[in-house]
Amino acid sequence: MKRDLMEILACPVCKGDLDLAVFEEKDEEILTGKLCCRGCGESYPIEDGIPNMLPPELREEMAR
Amino acid sequence: MGVGTGRFAAPLGISVGLDPSLPMMEVARGRGVLCVRGVAERLPFRDGPFDLLLMVTVDFLLRDKAAAFREAARVLAPGGSIVVGFIDRDSPLARRYEGEKGWVEGKKGKKGEKEGRKGMRGKDQAGFYGDARFLSPEEMAALLEGAGFWELAFAQTLFSQPEEMTSLQPPIPGYGRGSFVVVRGERL
Repeated sequence: MKRDLMEILACPVCKGDLDLAVFEEKDEEILTGKLCCRGCGESYPIEDGIPNMLPPELREEMAR
Repeated sequence: MGVGTGRFAAPLGISVGLDPSLPMMEVARGRGVLCVRGVAERLPFRDGPFDLLLMVTVDFLLRDKAAAFREAARVLAPGGSIVVGFIDRDSPLARRYEGEKGWVEGKKGKKGEKEGRKGMRGKDQAGFYGDARFLSPEEMAALLEGAGFWELAFAQTLFSQPEEMTSLQPPIPGYGRGSFVVVRGERL
């Protein structure tokens, strides 16, 4: 994912602002990382360049 | 919303796509759409960053339609538009799809599976698909108006069964004759 996406992303649960932690980045594309909600403390993984913003209770159910 | 493989979003120039299905979004990403994994009922976006929201043949897959349309209104800027393409419940195409439950349930080997939504909700959710049904234009209008959209404008196309179509069928205003209906609404 591109960093620009942070301008529009919010926590799906509480709509709070997110903090971005980048683990792996290549050609301005964040490949792996984590988005943490400042509001409710929930965190969302960035996997293979796609932020997984499923609400936590759906994450397992919709596992690939 | 429900970008799937980006089949509609990419040619229409939609920049950001949301879908719960990772395999489908990988195709959308290859078509140049920025992808976010998530569900329509709980959008992972701030209030108001979008000026246009597109939703094509997604309505019948939503668990909570009212919540999804409320979320759509929330992420649109005032004056922004929603465009919803859907299959009219009272059309020949809807009756045909409902007769072929495999299309929506994504059961193995059924006709239409590759254009269906297999795996979107996980395999234990077949019952949900079994209950899924298409909406009438009136029901769609009520959902949109309930979520704060107004000045609804309808257009329609697909006036015969797909295999009987030999050329593009240009859309005409309104609904009631075409199996595929598109409605545009403005966020108050």
